[in-house]
Formats: sequence, structure tokens, C-alpha cells
Amino acid sequence: MGTLDEKLHSLRAGEISAEQNIQNFLDKIENEKYNAILYVNSEALEEARNVDRKIKQGRAGKLSGLAIAVKSNINVKGLKTSCASKTLENYSATYDATVIERIRREDGIVIGMANMDEFACGSSGETSYFGPILNPAARGRIPGGSSSGSAASIAGGLSDLAIGSDTGGSIRNPASHCGIIGIKPTYGLVPRQGLIDLAMSFDQIGTLGRDVYSTALLLEVIAGYSKREAVSRKVENLDYTSKLTPDLEGYKIGYVTEFEELTDRRINSEIKKSLEKLEMQGAELVEVNLPNLNKALPTYYLTTFVEFFSATRKYDGRRYGYKIEDVCGEEILRRIHIGSYISQKEYSGKYYRKALQFRSLITRELLEALRDIDLIAGPTTPKLPHRLGEKISPLDMYSYDVLTVQAKQVKSEISLLEYSFRQNLLKNRRFSM
Amino acid sequence: MKITIGLEIHEQIATNTKLFCNCSTSYREVKPNSNICEICTGMPGAKPMPPNRKAIDAAIEIALMFNCEIIQEPVYIQRKHYSYPDLPSGYQRTSLPIAKNGNLLGIGIWEVHFEEDPGKYDPVTGRVDYNRSGVPLVEIVTAPQLHSPEEARNFLRELTKVLQYTGKTREEGGTMRVDTNISLEGGARVEIKNINSVRGAYKALLFEITRQKNLMTHGRSVKRETRAFIESQMITRAMRVKEEAEDYRYIPDPDLPPVAITNEKIEYIKNILPEAPHLKEKRFIVEYKIKADDAKIIASELELANAFEKVAMVIPAQQAASWIRDEVRRILEYNGISFKNSGIEPDYIIELLNMMNSGKITVRTAKKVMELLPELRKSPRIIVEENSWVKISDENYVEAACEDALKENPGAVKDYLSGKREALNFIVGRVMSKTRGRADPARVLEILRKKVEGVMK
Ligand SMILES: [Zn+2]
Repeated sequence: MGTLDEKLHSLRAGEISAEQNIQNFLDKIENEKYNAILYVNSEALEEARNVDRKIKQGRAGKLSGLAIAVKSNINVKGLKTSCASKTLENYSATYDATVIERIRREDGIVIGMANMDEFACGSSGETSYFGPILNPAARGRIPGGSSSGSAASIAGGLSDLAIGSDTGGSIRNPASHCGIIGIKPTYGLVPRQGLIDLAMSFDQIGTLGRDVYSTALLLEVIAGYSKREAVSRKVENLDYTSKLTPDLEGYKIGYVTEFEELTDRRINSEIKKSLEKLEMQGAELVEVNLPNLNKALPTYYLTTFVEFFSATRKYDGRRYGYKIEDVCGEEILRRIHIGSYISQKEYSGKYYRKALQFRSLITRELLEALRDIDLIAGPTTPKLPHRLGEKISPLDMYSYDVLTVQAKQVKSEISLLEYSFRQNLLKNRRFSM
Repeated sequence: MKITIGLEIHEQIATNTKLFCNCSTSYREVKPNSNICEICTGMPGAKPMPPNRKAIDAAIEIALMFNCEIIQEPVYIQRKHYSYPDLPSGYQRTSLPIAKNGNLLGIGIWEVHFEEDPGKYDPVTGRVDYNRSGVPLVEIVTAPQLHSPEEARNFLRELTKVLQYTGKTREEGGTMRVDTNISLEGGARVEIKNINSVRGAYKALLFEITRQKNLMTHGRSVKRETRAFIESQMITRAMRVKEEAEDYRYIPDPDLPPVAITNEKIEYIKNILPEAPHLKEKRFIVEYKIKADDAKIIASELELANAFEKVAMVIPAQQAASWIRDEVRRILEYNGISFKNSGIEPDYIIELLNMMNSGKITVRTAKKVMELLPELRKSPRIIVEENSWVKISDENYVEAACEDALKENPGAVKDYLSGKREALNFIVGRVMSKTRGRADPARVLEILRKKVEGVMK
């Protein structure tokens, strides 16, 4: 299989048509065994024929008929945007999320809605109301979560590209487990309008792909300021693809000693090899300390539970058929109950507000660490994926996120993203950002 | 017995678009659910747009009218969670105070903030109309410093006037909602919700005082609770007691950064602030030396007050004031319109009073022209000319008309001569009608009297 760059050339040259490309994926999805795609866009072929006409006229956009799988928590008008929950099993989106508008504008084609952990609450791909997702890259192992279907559709060859959402690791974690590239962009870089909430102050839409180039290309399409939401970063020159160069001369890359202590030694040895590769490409490695790392996970979960509680109040059974508490899985219920409990008036100072204070502390610490370096490199998860169906405790499940929640506490570090593309050029598949 | 009353007043802010989306704010004159989008109906995944700055500026202006201090730190917008069919997201967005420590008529204003209106739920059909959902509201909270239903009513009337002065709340009115709390000495504090007018607030408080006094005279205690005002019956009914008080689980809305209010903005708004009605009233009495009653009525509407000041530059102030208070008000009330929408220009009033004072038209004609202004909307001079209503100063013509009227009404003359003095007024009326109101009635009376008494001699 060639790179996506090459495929785009063939599409534009008319060597393959968008219609063929889409038909090819539709056939594969029909026979897929990963449970990665829940719902297929019945108009995908029609849309592809339109793109073919535009290609002939030489006015097709950047994505020229590529197939995009969309996580089931991102609104695509007319398609079931169910969050893989019974709660929204009958909800067809009434509008396109801003990122979908942008993908359409560049002639990308939504191939279907990807399976996921219910309401994005999970790190294993096992909590979907429509059944678990299988890992195409490691048989019998979990695919990671919560953007499990998006990652599996890339790893299983069911789409060219995918979008997912990442709150505390939900793109990076399944990308890592499925051996593909996934990026959680800086908070506020990609519009969230149309992304169904898990925890609003952490949620961010990002991209997944087989290689760095295509992942960067799709990000280029969906990123950028939107006046239709209040939390949006005014960033200019969103050109990632032209910045992809293997030359790391003059770059300082930090590695975090606390990460190493928390991580399985088999992963650590892979990370070590990768860091050595980066050094060979000219980067300077710098040791970084994040003493408050241990506060990141509880802070993250306290904040997200409260925000999730708030976000799910609209599923009261009046508008969407079911009251969420009546039909959701146990993980959802646990989060709603904890969120409700700690947001009570008598506890607000003790938990939620305290968590917000810790968050500022961790943000300062991370920004401080990033002051003298260009980026931090490290493992995505502290342990290798467990076997599908294996019982693990909620706390063990949450600990998958221990390395990824950290970056999420920081709402404002664009350079983290911009430079992190460079290292991925080294085709190191263990890296997800 | 000491009575303590506090008020929370909600009023819709007049903006073209809603607080967190671009939907139009008109909800009365359109079909249900026609001015809606995914944001104001809280569809899954919808996020608020940046708050409507015009609505926030309006709230600042209103707060400044009450002499409030504007909060200088960024103001968070919070989510207030509760479950009700008209609330599409399960929470209402409401800001923390944008201003504190103001006053009106000596009553403290604790704080002012803005929030979004929910939709409208019809319990009979079970339908919700979201056209109103997301319309900006301003909420004004007073200190518990009112001591009678009359005082509360008076305060609310004045507050309504102030809001109208700013021009930042909805002109058509009827959108005010009031919550009030009331306690009698020795009893607990009771909150009353669901009040939709000044009159409603007055009636609810009257009922509540009677209810609480009755409880106390029968040796029973007044519970701390929330009650609903039932407008159709003018009574209050228990909603929930304190133990069941809702916990709204307030959190700062993660989708909205706090709103910063700059010093420049505050200064700018201070500069365009209209003078408050009660201050204007006082100034009119001192500056123009007009009667207190007249000043109060004139200051009740900003445009009317402005018109008065313009007229008083040319016309003697007390005459202008009396004319506006009596004639202009009468016409506005008769037509059920505000001065602003009446079509009456201050220049028209000046023109009219000048014609009257110079004797060009009679008082009666002046009043008639005044009545026609809202309909004709043109210069009084032109109206007078078109209708040939210029006063007849030709003595011979008037005398001839008087002569005719006397001949035609011998009975009335006889009555007058036999002592019924009002009979002459009837003949004056006949003369006025013959001259189509253009004769000076005082002069007509004089002529008639002379003639009739001449006959007697
Ligand atoms: Zn709207």
C-alpha cells in the first residue's frame, strides 16, 4: 500500500476515481470484523461522483475524495451520531459539526460513523453499547479508547483517514495500541462546535492516519479559528505539511524522568531507542522534571466527572427517548454519580474548585518545563494493552491515561503541536501525540 | 409589625440576536420554533457562541443607572442546573454579578447580572416553543429594604421607568418577571415566584401579608419556603420548603471564557447615560420652576421629558408643562401610545402654542389640532390652513353670527332672562358651530350678554 500522498496524486491525475476509492472502502466495511464502523454514509458514493467532477474541472480541494471515518460523537447531518450509547441510538444529527463543514469544503468524504467507548468514557474500546471494537494490529488485545473505531478503521484499512476526539488520551491511546498516528491538537485549535461533550474544558477533536503526512494534512483542514464558538484560538499560518522535515538540528527535546518510573520496562526500552534516533537526527535531549505529575490524574478525573455530569443533563428522556441514567453502561453511571456528588454546593470548594486550582499549578509547571525546550517526548500509555474482555478495576483503567492527561491540563501551548510533527517523520510508530 | 421585602427583577434586554447564537429574538410575532438553531435548542454537541456584547453593554448601562459599581475582574458565566421542559440543556447560563452596591429611591441594589431566558413550555399541550430560549435577560436584586406592598409597587414603577429610559429593554413591555421575598417580624422568610407584573407583585405581597398574619394570630409559625403566585386567583401557593431547596450545582461554564469589562467601556457608557427619571423630575422643579405633579408626569417618559425641555426654550415653562401634562398626556392615553410613537414633534407643540398665544387660533382649535396630530403627523400650521381654522377677528362677522343665533333660539333667550344663566352657554355653542370654532368664545359671550341685556333695557 502506497502512502496517502501518492494516493492523492493518483486521484488528482485521474488514475483512480474518488468513486472507486469510496466503493473499495464500502466493500471492506461491509465485511469488516473489527466492529469499527457503526453506520455507513449512504450518500458517500454520490458525494464521490461530485468530487470526481470537480477533479476533472481541476477545482477539487485538498482531500480530493479521500474517505474519512468520523467518531460517533461528532455531528454529521443526517447520520446517526449515537456516542455508541443507547441514550442516543435514535439521534440523527440535525447539523454538521464545524470540522465536518471544513472536511466537505476540501472534498473529503465521510465514509461512516466509527464505533467508540460509550460517550468517550473509556480507554479500552470495550464499553460501546454496540459491542467492543477489535484491535486490527494485535489480535485478542484491546484497541485502546475511546476513539477505538477511528483507530481501528485506519489500522484495518477501512478508511484513508479518521477524526476522533481526545479528552485525556482518547486519540493518542488507541493510536498507540493500534500502531498508527494520532494527534490531540492544542485545546482551542480545532473547533469543537458539533462535538458531543465529555468534558468541555479538555475535549478536542484531532486526526488519525497511517502516516504523519496524512494526519498533518487533515489537521490542516480542520484546524483554525472559528467565530462560532467562544473558546477558539486565533492562530495563523496553519501549514503543517510543508514543515515536515527529518532535520532536527538545533531542537531540544525533553524526556520526563517521572514518566519512566510509571511505565512498563518493555515500553521504556522502545522509547529509549526512539529517543536515540531523535538524537541521531540532530536533536539535543534534555532531562525534564514534572514533580506534580502525580496530581494530574486525580485533577483530571475530578474535573471531567463534574463537566460530564453537567453535559449529560440534557439527556433527561424528554427529547432523545431515554434518560441517560436508565440506559447507560456502568462506567457512564459511575461518572455521572461521582460528578453529581462532588458538584454539590457543600463540596464545590473541596473538589471541583480545588481541582481547577491544581490544574493551574500543573499548567504552570508544564509551561515552565517547555520554556527552554521545543517539545517533550514520551510514551503514550504506561502499559501494554490488556486482553479484550479481561476484567480490570476502574482505577487500573483510568491509569492508562496517566501520561496523556498531563498535556491536556495545558490549554495554550501551540509549539508543542507544531514541532512534534518533525520527530514523527522518523516513522516511529510508537509515537502518538 | 415590621415587614421586610426584597425583590429580584428580571427583564428582557432588547437585542436583535440572542445571547449565545445569531437567532432573532422575536418570539411573539412568529410561528413557534421558527427562530431557533442547534445552539439555543441545546442539540447534542452545540456550543455557545461568544456572548452578545450588546446585551452585556446594556446590562452595564442599566447597572450604571442604579449607581452600581461595575465589577472589574473578569466575570464568569455559570451553569445553573435544574430540570424543566423549557430548559433544553438541563442548565441555564447565568453570569456572576457584573455590578454591585447601587441604589434607587434610597433602596439598595445588591447586584445586577445577565442570563439567558428559557423556552416556553405549555403544560396543556406538553409542547415547548424555543423561540424565547436564549433571549438575554438582566436580573436586578434589591436589598431587603422595602417595608410595604405600596412601597414595593412604587419602587417597581420607578424601576420600570428607569429601564425604559435606557431604551435597552423591550419596548412592548409585559416581559418583566419578579421574584420577591417577604418576612414579617417574628416569622421566617418566604419567597414568592412566578410574578409577571408590578400589579401582580403588589397583589402577591398583600395576600402574603394577610396569610402570614393569620398564621401568627392563630399561634402558628411561618415556615421558610418558596411559594408560587397564582395570578388568576391573586393568591400564593406552596412550592417547596427549605429542606427541599434545589441545589443548582453551579459551575463556571467551561465553554465560555470569563467576560472582561474594560474601564474604557465603563467610561464610554457613563458618558452616554441618560439622566435618571427621579433626578430629572427634581431638576425640572428647580430649573423650570414647574409644579411637582407636572414634573413627575413629564419625566415618566424620556422622549416626553426631552420634548418638554425643547418646548420650554421657546414657550413659558409652566404653560408648556401644563399643556403637556393635560393635553399631550390625554391624547397619548386615549390612543394608548407612547410619546415616542405618537408622531407629535416638539416643534409641533411650539408652533401650536405660538399660534394660540398670538391669538391666531382659539384654545379650542389648538386642542382639536393636537388631537389630530397622531393621525395626520404634519405641521399644525398646515392643518390650520387646510381647514381654514384661523380665528375670525372680524367683529362684524362675529356679531352677525351672534345676532342670527339669538333670533333662532328665542326660547334660550327667554330662559336666560328668566334667570337660567347657563342658557346663554347654549347660544355660545350655536355661535361657535356657525363659525366652525374659529370665534373666540370669550368674546362671543361678551357680545351675546351685551345684546341680550340690551334687549332687556
Ligand atoms: Zn439559536
